[in-house]
Amino acid sequence: MEAISVHNLVKEYPRAGESPLRAVDDISFSVERGSIFGLLGPNGAGKSTTIKVLSTLIPPTSGSILVNEFDVLTQALDVRKSLCVVLQESAVEVFLTVRNNFLTFGRFHGMTSAEIERKMGRVVELFGLGEVISQKPIDLSGGMKRRVQVAKMFLVDTPIVFLDEATTGMDTFNKRATIKAIKEEAQHGRTIVLTTHMLEEAEELCDAIAIINHGKIVASGTTDEVKNMGLQMFYLSMKFNEMGKELEELIQKFAPVKLEIQNREVSLTVREHHIALDILALARSTGALKQFEISTASLEDVFVELIDRKKANTAS
Amino acid sequence: MRNVMAIVYRDALIRLTSLTWLFFDMAVPLLYLLMFGVGFNKAVGIGVTTFGESVPYNNFFLAGVLSMSCFGSAINQAYGFFVDRDNGIFYEFLTYPMTRGELLFGKMLFQCVMAFAQTVLTIGAAIIVLGIPVNISLLPLTFLVVMVGIAGWFFALSIVAFRIRRNDAFNTVINVTYFVLMFISSMFYPLDSVPEWLRYISYANPLTWHTDILRYLTVGIGELNIILFETTGFMLFLFTSFWFAQQALKKAA
Repeated sequence: MEAISVHNLVKEYPRAGESPLRAVDDISFSVERGSIFGLLGPNGAGKSTTIKVLSTLIPPTSGSILVNEFDVLTQALDVRKSLCVVLQESAVEVFLTVRNNFLTFGRFHGMTSAEIERKMGRVVELFGLGEVISQKPIDLSGGMKRRVQVAKMFLVDTPIVFLDEATTGMDTFNKRATIKAIKEEAQHGRTIVLTTHMLEEAEELCDAIAIINHGKIVASGTTDEVKNMGLQMFYLSMKFNEMGKELEELIQKFAPVKLEIQNREVSLTVREHHIALDILALARSTGALKQFEISTASLEDVFVELIDRKKANTAS
Repeated sequence: MRNVMAIVYRDALIRLTSLTWLFFDMAVPLLYLLMFGVGFNKAVGIGVTTFGESVPYNNFFLAGVLSMSCFGSAINQAYGFFVDRDNGIFYEFLTYPMTRGELLFGKMLFQCVMAFAQTVLTIGAAIIVLGIPVNISLLPLTFLVVMVGIAGWFFALSIVAFRIRRNDAFNTVINVTYFVLMFISSMFYPLDSVPEWLRYISYANPLTWHTDILRYLTVGIGELNIILFETTGFMLFLFTSFWFAQQALKKAA
């Protein structure tokens, strides 16, 4: 059962005296109910524009978009009744106390004061807002304001939640709290769509992802599918008792996707598993190899590789 | 209606956070009436002549003050969109489960509540302090016209607020517009004695229509057939502004 279905979404922004800027270029994807879906990509890739279209903030130029089975163009109010959104921009009532931020937000989502009070306790505890509940966000730090903004989303029970770079500006404690809350909400059947730059976060949270660049989806599927998307990338880490310059030069000849050498530790990513094994054999032959670890590449490695490939294709 | 009341609740909470703001909201029309009006009343002596009769300036000016405070309140409320935009909450509002019309209507309704309090104070001071013979039986209609005035100007100014992204540009445009509209209206002086070209322009100004209606209801100055014509004009202005404000709001993100 799909919570979100996007077919051939195009979004263009008009520009004076120039051809329109195509921020989203014919993308299609779907999000299963109760799943966590990640939209990944570099700055300006089209992630936030996609979220804005899905949340009815801006209309699509073309395409068919259903959110909770409602059309974003013709049933915008029903779409908005189905969701809540953390926008990339900071969005809090700076002149109202944190408590009144919750009270107003809850009312806009049809909750009674009693319901808001009942649910507020859990959210305040989860996000560690107890000490600032009577303060106004105008007096709080940027990270704390963001915390209030994100916490509000967990006060209401809309079936779909959009989180656009929700953990940006948060410290580790709050990131963990947000990730915990997102996982809990998904377990309760809510559909979460998030955009993030933090690939470890996406890897930890998402059931499925789409990598977007220059408005186009360059890869999509489950997190594992994307990691294994025909790339056969492997990560190799080695520690040496001693290490000479000649070993580094020999490894360079294998043209690794990524190579980092610090003191006597080498970590690298390669495209084929036999290359990883060849490098490992070479390292063993030095007699100085102390420890090694081999695994499939991280989502970050795949992400960088896919974006690089796209750049290379565009250039050629 | 639940969404509209949620906006009224939110705006009321914000207004209550600043007692200075609240005080000046209430005080400005009173100060105009008591300082500017009284001073001018003394200066012009026997009063002003309009529709063939001479009336004290205070009596004439009361409707101008009410009309002016409607316009001023509408400016404040429309400017609130810039504050909300700066805080990012404006865009979050647009994702809340309400129509664009409900958002506009809620904001207008809150300002009407404020205007009601302003009008009670202003008319109270007019009767008690200045002894202006206000038509008590038409007070409910007067309050209704004040609210209609707020609505019309708020929707019209919202269009400008949604189209202009910079608050400094908004302030400049609104200040100049306000200045021009005030002086080509019947707010400060009767239109009987102004040059003909100015009279024609003034009668095409919604501020004149609104002031004339209020003047007719409060102190009985004016002719009914002209007032009915002006009422029709203002209602057209109100509905057209509301429609265009909704369209502008849809494009505001």
